[in-house]
Amino acid sequence: MAKVLDKGWNPYLAGALAGLLLVASIWFTGKYAGASTTYVRAIGMVETVFSPERVKQTEYLMKEAPIIDWQWMFVIGIILGSFLSAAQSGDLKLKAVPDLWESRFGPSRLKRAGAAFLGGTIAMFGARLADG
Amino acid sequence: MNILVYGLITGIIFGFLLQKGRVLRYDRQLGALRLQDMTIVKFMLSTILVSMIGVYLLKDLGLVQLSLKPTLLGANILGGLIFGLGWGLFGYCPGTSGGALGEGRWDAIWGIWGMLLGAGLYAEAFPWVKKNILPLGDLGKITIPQILGINHWIVIAVLLIGAVGLTRWFEKKGF
Repeated sequence: MAKVLDKGWNPYLAGALAGLLLVASIWFTGKYAGASTTYVRAIGMVETVFSPERVKQTEYLMKEAPIIDWQWMFVIGIILGSFLSAAQSGDLKLKAVPDLWESRFGPSRLKRAGAAFLGGTIAMFGARLADG
Repeated sequence: MNILVYGLITGIIFGFLLQKGRVLRYDRQLGALRLQDMTIVKFMLSTILVSMIGVYLLKDLGLVQLSLKPTLLGANILGGLIFGLGWGLFGYCPGTSGGALGEGRWDAIWGIWGMLLGAGLYAEAFPWVKKNILPLGDLGKITIPQILGINHWIVIAVLLIGAVGLTRWFEKKGF
């Protein structure tokens, strides 16, 4: 089943294995997967460098305190796991502008960077508002 | 074993599977949002169904507890709309952007900086949001079986049948 073709694994199979992984995680550690809380903790760490007093007075940065926890390491792990998988299947390739983006908006890295930055800002605000 | 090591290992395997499923790509994410490429939807449905069955099985055996977040209609709907707007622009989501970076799609880094800013802005807006948005449609920590007043396995069976029907249709249509 798990054929390592150029097209990758069957998405149903890879998804099911991810499901088993998440269940095992909940069973062994009680930890439910997530990602966006980590960005709150990370910006809290950045702000702590400049103004620790201010961070202490910001309710939300205290609610999701600037510490490294299970989810923080989970998010870091995703980067490593993806790197290992891509390297293993010869899929690792530096790419600054996605093909589909380039076909519609051209090869400008600056344009892509601007849209990605703005999009990331908006997406995270929405994700936190919706609470995950 | 240290809880942080568990987090790292779980993340590594999860990132590995995301990459193998080829769901970390901008083209795939936009393909899903434009209802043209269902690869991500197939991956997610499969993950959700397996997790749903597994978690409720373990819960019935008394081995795990659910971790419910409150249903806040105002915040969930408004936040979802804003999230979708950002996702469409960025082309990666908070969980997959690190994975995209890992396989060399380094345009993700701009969005990761953006997400840090977005998290900081939300922290600034939080006192106002807490007062004005979070109380809208606060239904508390509810589940579908609970509001329907039926056994959770009935809900799981219905969702399972619905998902199988949907994916069969995807395959027939060649999405």
